[in-house]
Amino acid sequence: MSHTLEANAISYAYEAGSDVLRAVNLSVHGGKITGLVGPNGSGKSTLLRLLCGLLRPQQGSVMLDGRPLAAFSGKERARMIAFLPQSVNPAFSLSVFEVVCLGRYPYTGVLGALRGQDLEVARRCLRDTGTEELHSRDFMSLSGGERQRVLLASILAQEPRLLLLDEPTSALDIHHEAEVFELLRRLAHQGYGIAVVTHDLNLAAQYCGALILLSQDHTVLASGSPGQVLTEDKLSAAYGAVIRVGTHPFAGTPLVAAQPMGGAQ
Amino acid sequence: MTRIRYSVIAAILMLSLLIVVASLVFGTESLSMLQAWREWRAQTPLYEAPTLSILLTQRIPRTLAALLTGAGLALAGCSFQALLRNPLATPYTLGVASSGALGAWLAFILMDAGWIGGYFLGAPSVQCFAFLFAGADTLLVYLLASRKTRTSPSVLLLAGVTMGMLANSGIMLTRYLAAPERLMMMDRWLMGGVDVLGYKPVITLLAGVAPCAVLLLAQAAKFDQFGFSAEVAAGRGVHVGRLQVLTFLTGSLMTAVIVSEVGPIGFVGLIIPHSVRVITGPRHTLLMPLSVVVGGAFLCACDIAARKLLPGETPIGIITTLIGGPFFLFLLMRRKFTDWEM
Ligand SMILES: Nc1ncnc2c1ncn2[C@@H]1O[C@H](COP(=O)(O)OP(=O)(O)OP(=O)(O)O)[C@@H](O)[C@H]1O
Ligand SMILES: [Mg+2]
Repeated sequence: MSHTLEANAISYAYEAGSDVLRAVNLSVHGGKITGLVGPNGSGKSTLLRLLCGLLRPQQGSVMLDGRPLAAFSGKERARMIAFLPQSVNPAFSLSVFEVVCLGRYPYTGVLGALRGQDLEVARRCLRDTGTEELHSRDFMSLSGGERQRVLLASILAQEPRLLLLDEPTSALDIHHEAEVFELLRRLAHQGYGIAVVTHDLNLAAQYCGALILLSQDHTVLASGSPGQVLTEDKLSAAYGAVIRVGTHPFAGTPLVAAQPMGGAQ
Repeated sequence: MTRIRYSVIAAILMLSLLIVVASLVFGTESLSMLQAWREWRAQTPLYEAPTLSILLTQRIPRTLAALLTGAGLALAGCSFQALLRNPLATPYTLGVASSGALGAWLAFILMDAGWIGGYFLGAPSVQCFAFLFAGADTLLVYLLASRKTRTSPSVLLLAGVTMGMLANSGIMLTRYLAAPERLMMMDRWLMGGVDVLGYKPVITLLAGVAPCAVLLLAQAAKFDQFGFSAEVAAGRGVHVGRLQVLTFLTGSLMTAVIVSEVGPIGFVGLIIPHSVRVITGPRHTLLMPLSVVVGGAFLCACDIAARKLLPGETPIGIITTLIGGPFFLFLLMRRKFTDWEM
């Protein structure tokens, strides 16, 4: 069965009077990758927090398979939706394998004991993200990109149906970034529904079935296929800068570049 | 690796058991367990059975009090450290213990003056006041150090230490105001001691420590998640707000009951979790239960020293501080400063 997470006209303000999101509609479907793009501070991370129930919208509703998200228990929800935040700061050091095993929490009882099956899942997730060789390393000693891949493994260990990923590739080199997006594509083929925040518009154009473009005034400026969203006028309006769009040399998707202020070419 | 770890843990458990037995045997005079057993078998009346009577009315309650106190303080230390994501948070560095002690003393003074009775808000006044003060301290320290999204560890500790100093000067004031015949008892209590007689204090300790300990131990897996990342934890279904409130309340309550019964005994909540972490690693599912055992055994050992070190009784609080203080300085020397930039 394919699962759907839907946000209906949700609005949110951390402090009364200054909305961070206004009347946003969005849906995450099993089998599809939805990209969330927009300038810094436009509310992308906030939107993900709302979608996974860490924050409750002040207006509108978030529904998981037609049922209000708030009606799910914490662990029940975590077995359906996994959330990867933009950054983590562990208070103590754990090995990579321990970090991935933490992902099994929604399946454990009060004592948090792991069964053989949980360890098996954790190992598989390390393989899927190409991080097996980091298995025994101290998580804190990893490079930024290695950390992100291990974190992705630990999120996958939740065996969710829907993934909400906040800039999962911000620290990755171009090769690993493409690898992660390839992994996301494979996961989508297996039926996962994925929402991913990214600043890499070119990869978003290649891999996402749909894009949501948030603007500096905290509303959805455009949504639809990459070709519909990634146009010069929409992007220039959203980012408040001159943005040029061409065509990707071999993918054929839009290719986006910002033109520096005053840099006449 | 894990096999070594488990053998070390097994060795620790054995050692703890030995310490408990030693705590029953050694004292002003050493007791023969065999003799006590013979007296028990012969069903000698207690007043004719000196060994059995010392064992039953002194050694066993005293050992139990030491175990409960050590276990409770170590677990409170673990829990505060987990919650505040800081290895230096303990009932003492946060001022909780001193505030509890101040509350307990205030209750004594008010009872002496006849302003309140033995019970207050339905609980024994001393414990109740200790808890109110300890809880108020935790809350205040936490609020002072919290900003919208994060808690500053350094502000937290500075606020905690300051609150502790304020509470201590409050204790000095109550000492100054107290009736002269109270002073002797007060000073003795302030140095801490588990030299209880009979089972009443033990029952109070048990009633305060056991339920809180069970509740806190049940949070171990959540502390693992929370320590890794509050946001990831929330995403996995840990109710972070609930976890914080529950830990603050139970941690303060447990500390308050202990302090009001045996006085402020410093450093247990700091050195035990730190030492145990070296063996178990940072995962709370192992760290917390083992800290309970080691904390209990450690205080038992300190109490044996308190009985044997000097003629008469050495206050146990002095012993734990003499061990804990240098240990703490050692930690300060050894740790990389970056570890604390959390
Ligand atoms: N916990 C918070 N409390 C108050 N305001 C916040 C909080 N988190 C974010 N904000 C504000 O909400 C707005 C949106 O923040 P958000 O993190 O959602 O942006 P973003 O689109 O993810 O940006 P970036 O691309 O830089 O990650 C910003 O103006 C930010 O200052
Ligand atoms: Mg963000």
